[in-house]
Amino acid sequence: MLMPHPLLGLRDAREFSYLGDARLLDRPDPNAPDAEAAFCDYVFLRDNPAGVHRELWFHEQGDRSWLVVTRDTVTHEVLGAELARDVALARKGSGA
Amino acid sequence: MSELRPITALGAAQPRLASFGALEIRENADLALASLALRFGTREPTPFGLTLPRTGRWVAGEGVAALWTGPGQWMIEAQGRVELDFTAELKQVAPGCSVTEQTDGWVAFEIISRAGSMPLESLLSKLVNIDPADLGPGRATRTGLDHMSCFVIRRGAAHVALLAARSSAGSLWHSLETAAKRQEEKVT
Repeated sequence: MLMPHPLLGLRDAREFSYLGDARLLDRPDPNAPDAEAAFCDYVFLRDNPAGVHRELWFHEQGDRSWLVVTRDTVTHEVLGAELARDVALARKGSGA
Repeated sequence: MSELRPITALGAAQPRLASFGALEIRENADLALASLALRFGTREPTPFGLTLPRTGRWVAGEGVAALWTGPGQWMIEAQGRVELDFTAELKQVAPGCSVTEQTDGWVAFEIISRAGSMPLESLLSKLVNIDPADLGPGRATRTGLDHMSCFVIRRGAAHVALLAARSSAGSLWHSLETAAKRQEEKVT
């Protein structure tokens, strides 16, 4: 399997390690009044879709960047990859 | 007072050197290394007059060289300055950046071909899963080699360097030796 690294081009998937759902980027605010419930959901609840899934991958044997990879869990087709940093900054910028 | 003697990454008093047909593999024990990372909002420095390389590249300057290791991060090499405090020198010329001593964390092997780029490229294609087109002279990348993470630096058409964790120096030498030996046997 090849991963389309946004900076380095196609790279062997064995250079990467998988973390999990890209929703892990949305860490709840620990100071919010409903923090406990929000963290409970954040830590324990995951969707398990058959189909398109956004997930976090670490380029461990590479440039050590975190990527958000869009992958079809049914066909294993990798539909795209972006730097997790860019995703997080864009989200912050849009206030979402 | 006890008499301390420095040893190389492979544990000997002298760096190891071996030849396999047209290829020569040499342990480079005189390479000083320091990492350089930009901090948020700092300007990119030009240490020792070196323009830091772009993504996936390596450049050599006067006595120093640099390779890109990640966004806003580089490894700076200084041949022959292993016994000097190179990190302190680099800090002076990279104000505001994070500079970390790396010399003793790595082992460097230089692979040189005496018969042009062909034997070298053939060896590389066995060792690392990187498109040869992305490993031309002036390119550098980190990848896996027999499950070891290492930097592959193409210093010239007939010269490649590998940087790997110093603790796995023996295993990396074994991998290189095995692949080079097989290639030599195939040719003769």
